Amino acid sequence: MSDGTTEATEAEAAKAEAPGTAATTPDGTNGTVGTPGAPGAPGTEQAKPTPTLLLTRSPGPAELDPDRARRRRRTLEITLGIAVPLLLLLWWQLAVQQKWIDSRIYPAPQTILEDGWKRLVDGKLWPDIWATLKRVVPGFLLGSLAGYVVGLLTGSIPLVRAALEPMLDALYVVPKLALLPIFLLIFGLGETPQIMLVAVTVFFLIWIQTMAAVLAVPEGYREAATVFGASQWQMYRHILIPASLPPVVVGLRLASGMAVLVIVASEGLASPNNDGLGYLIFNAKNIFDQKAMYVGIITVAVVGVLFSELVRLIGRLLTPWAPDRRGPGGS
Amino acid sequence: MPLLPSPRAGRRTALATALVACTALLSACVSSDDTDNTAKSAPTPSAQVASVPGCEKGWTDPADLSPTRAPARCAPNTPAAKPLPAKTHIVVTAGTLSAEYLGPIRVAIAKGEFAKENLDVELKQMPSTDAITLLSKGEIDVLYSAPEAGMVNAAKQGFNVKWVLGNYSSDPKSKSGVWVRLKDGQTADQVDLKGKTFGSLVGKTSIIMYPIASVLEKHNTKVTDVQFKQLDAQSNIQALQNGGVDAAWLLDPAWKDFENKPGYAFLGGQPAGEPIGGMLYGPSLLDKNRAAGTAFARAMIRTVSTYFAGDYKADPAFVQELAQILGNKPELLAAVPSLVTDWEIRKGTVDKAEKMFVEGEVVQAPALPEDKLVDRSFYAEAVGHSG
Repeated sequence: MSDGTTEATEAEAAKAEAPGTAATTPDGTNGTVGTPGAPGAPGTEQAKPTPTLLLTRSPGPAELDPDRARRRRRTLEITLGIAVPLLLLLWWQLAVQQKWIDSRIYPAPQTILEDGWKRLVDGKLWPDIWATLKRVVPGFLLGSLAGYVVGLLTGSIPLVRAALEPMLDALYVVPKLALLPIFLLIFGLGETPQIMLVAVTVFFLIWIQTMAAVLAVPEGYREAATVFGASQWQMYRHILIPASLPPVVVGLRLASGMAVLVIVASEGLASPNNDGLGYLIFNAKNIFDQKAMYVGIITVAVVGVLFSELVRLIGRLLTPWAPDRRGPGGS
Repeated sequence: MPLLPSPRAGRRTALATALVACTALLSACVSSDDTDNTAKSAPTPSAQVASVPGCEKGWTDPADLSPTRAPARCAPNTPAAKPLPAKTHIVVTAGTLSAEYLGPIRVAIAKGEFAKENLDVELKQMPSTDAITLLSKGEIDVLYSAPEAGMVNAAKQGFNVKWVLGNYSSDPKSKSGVWVRLKDGQTADQVDLKGKTFGSLVGKTSIIMYPIASVLEKHNTKVTDVQFKQLDAQSNIQALQNGGVDAAWLLDPAWKDFENKPGYAFLGGQPAGEPIGGMLYGPSLLDKNRAAGTAFARAMIRTVSTYFAGDYKADPAFVQELAQILGNKPELLAAVPSLVTDWEIRKGTVDKAEKMFVEGEVVQAPALPEDKLVDRSFYAEAVGHSG
């Protein structure tokens, strides 16, 4: 136990370090209040009653005006979210201006933006964006649905899990792009192999996430449903599906990024109609058109972010009971 | 009034300062020009060209476009090596290491022809579309490829990359080229190619567009009248078999599967006597170390003249050895005729290729003059040709 002098010093240090925190008396005036100290351990010399501090914390801005504090925090987060990439872009631009890097290989962001804008205005970029979306969205929906259904079944029925899990585990580790030639053989040239490639990629992510989520549903939930006489369908409808959906939504967001990644690579290898953002990137590389290549890369990033945000938005609408785990500013 | 700002106020000040700095920096950056690159002129070789024993027939007029022209040849084991004063490391990349057309460079390495020139040649596998950027930056020295759209665009952007050595033309008996699916009762002469779909490894960006365009022209069709599907080598063959594409460019020995097969016809291939690929040099050999570039060309010419001068597949022992060096199967090599190896570059080949690229909208007009893309001075010096 510390003596009173030490505690006073600690209180002062705390006061200096933590704004809004002060050693105060119960009536709010700063100072120390002597209270009877705890008795010493048996057999030791009984000291005089030791004065201790009562530490209180003055309300800060977050407590005094929570709405304003949240708005300021949100502003700060948004500002940081914009400023950090902006700073990186500025460094890139500066590096090109100062000829630290070769602008023919690494065109300046300004040049890329101008080229991208020109392509948008001229209507040259939209067909590639549309072609990629036509492959990603159906593949994503197909893979998500199949993954969710199989995940529910493998998570809830041990025999189905025993039958499918080893095989699916083995297939999961196969590089999905390696399946493209097989899909080309099975489905021929056209959109189907590309859609199937996305679907297979998404399927495994959602399957694993769903199965894990179903297995993690507390046994008590199931028992409660059983006690109330829930049928198999009601068990799914009221217990397993609501409990598993929030983590599955997280999986969907991961899968949305993977879907875009896979389709871009696939279009670079074999685009059925010589279109799509992947074709744009790889063809631009083939013809040494670095500006177009970077326009394609940035467009993929933007499409990927928008797609992921759309999935998150839909996920939030589908699972209003899920906890919102975003940061303090809510951004 | 406090002398020191509160942490919150300090954070605000820092943030505001950073944003102001960013804005100022952005204004400064966007106001100036960053596209001041201009194409370099072709460097002129400074070395005095001396006659080279054994290479009296080592040069043909580039303007001679006769399909029956005999390719330039030196006597076996000539031109004699002229070792560089210091050992020089050269990095060469190629899209594949086992194809037959890699034979001369791989044999040159295996037989020590580069070592005789005091060159340490490292051959790496890399797609030419990736390697052209490295070649332009001088991070690799030689690219085994062709004057394709990427190379032309790199040169147009001011990079010093040039086609310096040819590789081969097809034997007249070879049927590597455009193969088409025939409809009932059609013959090769009657095929209407308008609106057809072509399978291609690299689409409109490849030099192969030039011979494809020649074939199309014979059938009154333009490049813009057909569609190209970009497929890998295996998918190309499968697509032609299952009807996914109407026509495809088939390489050695893939065309053997379609020879004498009902329903397929060979329409034409690489122009006789005209190489359309070979070695590209970058700034490291074109600007910084031309002597090494000449030594490399000399070793290649000596290898071709010694081992690949004629029908090299007539010797089963050499086919066996070549297959071993390439990591290929002897029976596959023996199944197709020998390549007509040729280190020279014909006049007008890049002009015709550029015309195709411009029509295919993968290179913007105007086309570059030939001297911005071709440099014959290395092989000229190696065989002792002056003027």
